[in-house]
Amino acid sequence: MLVMRRRAGEGFLIGPDIEIEVLEVSPTRVKIGIVAPNELPIVRKEVILTRQENLAASRHTPSDTIAWLSERLSKPRQPA
Amino acid sequence: MPRLTSKYFGELDYSADDAFQFPDGIPAFEDQTGFVFIDQPQTHPLVFMQSLGNPGLCFIAVPALVADPTYRPDLSPEDLALLGLSPEPPPQPGLDILCLSLVTVSEHADPTVNLASPIVLNLRNRKGVQAILPSSGYSLRQPLLVREDLAPCS
Repeated sequence: MLVMRRRAGEGFLIGPDIEIEVLEVSPTRVKIGIVAPNELPIVRKEVILTRQENLAASRHTPSDTIAWLSERLSKPRQPA
Repeated sequence: MPRLTSKYFGELDYSADDAFQFPDGIPAFEDQTGFVFIDQPQTHPLVFMQSLGNPGLCFIAVPALVADPTYRPDLSPEDLALLGLSPEPPPQPGLDILCLSLVTVSEHADPTVNLASPIVLNLRNRKGVQAILPSSGYSLRQPLLVREDLAPCS
């Protein structure tokens, strides 16, 4: 991974068309400005991860697995 | 009473109180804006999140507190606004809102729940959102149960 140190107000370019600027830095978060072509999708990483997890969760679940899940969750855990 | 075709239970009557509007859908299913939440005695405490627009789309969920009894999501102002809620006073879980976690079941792994992006329902106006909590420390794949005691299929 390329690591770069930047202050608020400084930026960098990715290729000829994408410009990233650090707008504001606070102790817990940074505010970033992005200039990029309209057709380029820019999505927060956690949204992409949620999308992937939703696709996995939408798959068919067999009825015996549903019955097992329901039974195991409805009664207290057996001591080991 | 309205009727729907559900993925796991066939034709079902449902109460309008169980139908929720998701103005933005959820990630990967942005066009699905209506879901009914089905809690049947024989599958309790599972809650089935059945799409009204697509009978073949149904998620399995559990109340987040079933997966993690200490669960306290910190909802963003944007998600609260989508639900028609304000940050002060904070919405009361169980009274104003309900948090559900989607369950992922895969063939070769133990089932997991997504605590990092809970389904949050406003029980008062029946709006819903999938809240995304990036820095909450909650996992997208929190183990729910260990599968070793899943009885072999006959």
